[in-house]
Amino acid sequence: MHIVVCAKQIPDPETPPSAFKIDAATNKVIPAAGISPVLSQFDGIAAEAALRLKEAKGGKVTVISLGAESAQAAIKQVLAMGADEGVLLKDAAFDDGDSYTTARTLAEAIKKLGDVDAVFCGRQAADWDMGQVGLLIAEELGWPAAIIAKGVEATDTGLKIQRVLADGFETVEAPLPAVVTVSNEFGEPRYPKLPQIMAAAKKTVTAWGAGDLGLDPGSVGKAGARLQLQKLFIPEKSGRVELIEGDTPQEQASNLIKKLQADKLI
Amino acid sequence: MADSTNRPARPQRLVGAWWGPAVGLSALGFYASATVPGDAPTREIFFNVPDGAWAVYAFLAALVGLLIFGFVRHASLWSIGQPTPGALKEIPSRLKNTVRLGMAQDKVRRDRYAGIMHWCIFSSIVVLTLVTAQVAIEADFPVSFLHGDYYLFFSFYGDLFGVIGLIGVGMALYRRYFAQMHRIRWDERLEDHLIIVGLGLVLLSGFFVEAARIMVTEMNQHPDWARWSFGGFTVAKGIGVFGFEDHQMLAFHAYSWWFHVAMAFGWLALIVFTRLDHMFFAPINAFLLRTDSPGRLTKIENIEEQEVFGVGFIQDFTWKQLFELDACVRCGRCTEVCPANIAGQPLSPMHLIQDLKAHLADVGPAIAQHRHEFSDPGREVSSVALIGDVIKDETLWACRTCGACVQECPVMIEHVPTIVDMRRYLVMSEARIPATAQAALENLEMRGHPWRGTALERTTWMEGLEEVPMFDGSQEYLYWVGCSGSLVERNLPVTKAVFRLVKESGASFGVLGQEETCNGDPARRLGNEYLYQILAQQLVETFKSKNVQKVITNCPHCFNTFKNEYPQFDGNFEVIHHTEFLAGAMQSGKLTAKHPVAANVTYHDSCYLGRINGVYDAPRQILEMVPGTNLTEMQRNLSKGLCCGAGGGNMWQEEVGERRVNHVRSEEAVRTGADQVISNCPFCIQMFEDGVPAVHPEEEGRMRPFDVAELLEKSVFGETAVAGERSS
Repeated sequence: MHIVVCAKQIPDPETPPSAFKIDAATNKVIPAAGISPVLSQFDGIAAEAALRLKEAKGGKVTVISLGAESAQAAIKQVLAMGADEGVLLKDAAFDDGDSYTTARTLAEAIKKLGDVDAVFCGRQAADWDMGQVGLLIAEELGWPAAIIAKGVEATDTGLKIQRVLADGFETVEAPLPAVVTVSNEFGEPRYPKLPQIMAAAKKTVTAWGAGDLGLDPGSVGKAGARLQLQKLFIPEKSGRVELIEGDTPQEQASNLIKKLQADKLI
Repeated sequence: MADSTNRPARPQRLVGAWWGPAVGLSALGFYASATVPGDAPTREIFFNVPDGAWAVYAFLAALVGLLIFGFVRHASLWSIGQPTPGALKEIPSRLKNTVRLGMAQDKVRRDRYAGIMHWCIFSSIVVLTLVTAQVAIEADFPVSFLHGDYYLFFSFYGDLFGVIGLIGVGMALYRRYFAQMHRIRWDERLEDHLIIVGLGLVLLSGFFVEAARIMVTEMNQHPDWARWSFGGFTVAKGIGVFGFEDHQMLAFHAYSWWFHVAMAFGWLALIVFTRLDHMFFAPINAFLLRTDSPGRLTKIENIEEQEVFGVGFIQDFTWKQLFELDACVRCGRCTEVCPANIAGQPLSPMHLIQDLKAHLADVGPAIAQHRHEFSDPGREVSSVALIGDVIKDETLWACRTCGACVQECPVMIEHVPTIVDMRRYLVMSEARIPATAQAALENLEMRGHPWRGTALERTTWMEGLEEVPMFDGSQEYLYWVGCSGSLVERNLPVTKAVFRLVKESGASFGVLGQEETCNGDPARRLGNEYLYQILAQQLVETFKSKNVQKVITNCPHCFNTFKNEYPQFDGNFEVIHHTEFLAGAMQSGKLTAKHPVAANVTYHDSCYLGRINGVYDAPRQILEMVPGTNLTEMQRNLSKGLCCGAGGGNMWQEEVGERRVNHVRSEEAVRTGADQVISNCPFCIQMFEDGVPAVHPEEEGRMRPFDVAELLEKSVFGETAVAGERSS
């Protein structure tokens, strides 16, 4: 089985709030000095799911990332976990796209790989939290999709996927090829073994641009995007304290309840 | 371990110098042999036992054969180990260790009772062996010296050390069978009874032989000679009450002589089969003891070219590490002081060593036989895995690397490097790590610090302070704040205090701010040597490019790493801990503790400042110089101090076991009745912040943890100045 893992490099979600800055003029996040971007945590979990399937059924895992040169680090991280090959989709034309252009570009790369049986994505990228790309890849490829999975196993005919619902779980089956997005309920990604880190460091990552994928630069990135960002801002936090009057704790409690009811909070 | 055991240091050399008098007395004998007249006091060798001579030599030959057999058998097991770099370098300091630790037994005496007991037995065996050797020389060499005054003196000290030996045996019997002492019974075996009872019988029977001989010879002819053999003389007087005939005594003498000789050689043969072999292995292990700092772990050279990481199979240990296993005497001192064990967690250094030893005996012979076939990764010869089966993962993770076991071990076993070697295998080869420790390692890799989820920046602590100078190579000192000092809320006031005090002292210094990255210590202690080396090399480069010469560190772990481990990466800096700097500044009058701080405090020695690097005095000097502050020591202090529980990467692990180490230590601190527990380490302070409320739930009158610098800050600037600074 050949599984593709889509991995995104994102600004570190653990960037201290004081170091997180945006440029209001361009509606962009200013990369924080000295804080390196990281692999989106859900994509690490998707890689773990793919690797466990590979260990159970054999086959290979290819990791694809769309991003800047620095995204090599995210690819190497998944290679160190045990993925076999890495592809970086890098082109100035890809910049500033939306979920749709990202999915489209990734889908073209998956088509170009040819023999892919399944695509595993994180349930959402941990920076914008859209949760669109996995589904849109399935749409582009015309494959079935099962999203927000907490368990994936191979059956004789395809995949059996346990999905997280708002009020429980459901188990679905899908024929191959298929797209699965994996949720944090699946479990933690593995810690790479040193020999694999060494091997990953030596692997070359294939780089494809728009031309390699036969994509018209006008249809991807900012030019092809269907979503327009209107305003990016950091919400202002403010706090206000009101002391509830009352001579006894009981009286204070009942005044608090009255107040909350008046404010329609309970 | 770093010296300085109990303050004030007491001269202890004399106790260890048992061999001085013994050798001196023997020399005197040889001198006497040339000077004494012919009819002086003496005795007949092999009196009444005409066949004795051949028997003794036959026994001796058998014993020597056995000893050689035993040694070869052991050596074939040690030989499956890896090379031990530098084991034969620095011979002078190794010889010094052999004498100081192996013969004078400095560490045995860290337990007073055991020290006296062991000295009695040890000196008795050595002197009585010399006594026997002199008898052999007198009998079978063309020299004669056992006569005259020296013979009398010889009789005296032979008996004296016989009695001393019996005192030792008595102490051992009491301790083993009557005292409420458990550590020596944690792994008690049949041999332990044989050794002690056997030695008692050898010594006692010796006195009976002597007494019988005296009764039929000297007692009648030369009672004045007999008195010199005061032990045998007393026994003879006792037997004399029964009024036996001479021929009865002669028969008794012959039987007891044979019994004594057979017992003595039988007992010596135990060396081959029991822990008595420590009489050779302990001094050799003292010779093999590391000559560098105990705070330094071995570097895996050319790590990127290695195929084996750490120790996953018994033959991956160095031969020195395998040798050590045989030196262990199961005394339990290591386990008794182990913080994990004290808290009921799954680590006992003694059992770890014994389990490794048993595994070596189990699989070692097969490996030795097929040595060349097991050089590839599929090297198992046993279905039992070294790590997982013989040594459990959680055992390895429970270690704090605090070094208490290494400090106490009377036979100089170094448990900590052995444990870390196995962690290295778990982390680098197997990637088997507790989840929270893994998160810390990943964080080190991704973010250059171990504090996952911190909302602080490396410059946050500077807010509200007057200008903080950045280090540019022109200043004398780099003030190294460290990850905890800048990214953990509780430690920020300490960082500010050190900063203000160093500034007040007028020193020229700067900080690195955003350019600080973790020095790698947590990665190395958790077993990820690869990550450690990347971080260390990076930082050594940064230091060199900034022309760093002298470093003041906030944290004892940074201190230890820079001081003891960075030289492995060609990073040689002058490193001092902030308590050393501040104590120095106070002594030279650059800082004055002028405002009284009325506080009853107790002081907690962090392992990496105290035990491992020997800095006990500087922090205490500061406490003494602060007016109004009164120090009460905890029961476990100085080199016997107990870890706070955070060491060895346990800051980032869930603890497994009955209790948490920091709760145990917090209890000990609370018990002093002090209202502040003062430490020198960001981890210790965090552990107390968590531990004290757990053992003392009422907020009223609860003890509070502080750093030495926080206390000093109040005294130098006044409490109100400090409080004002904080709120700004």
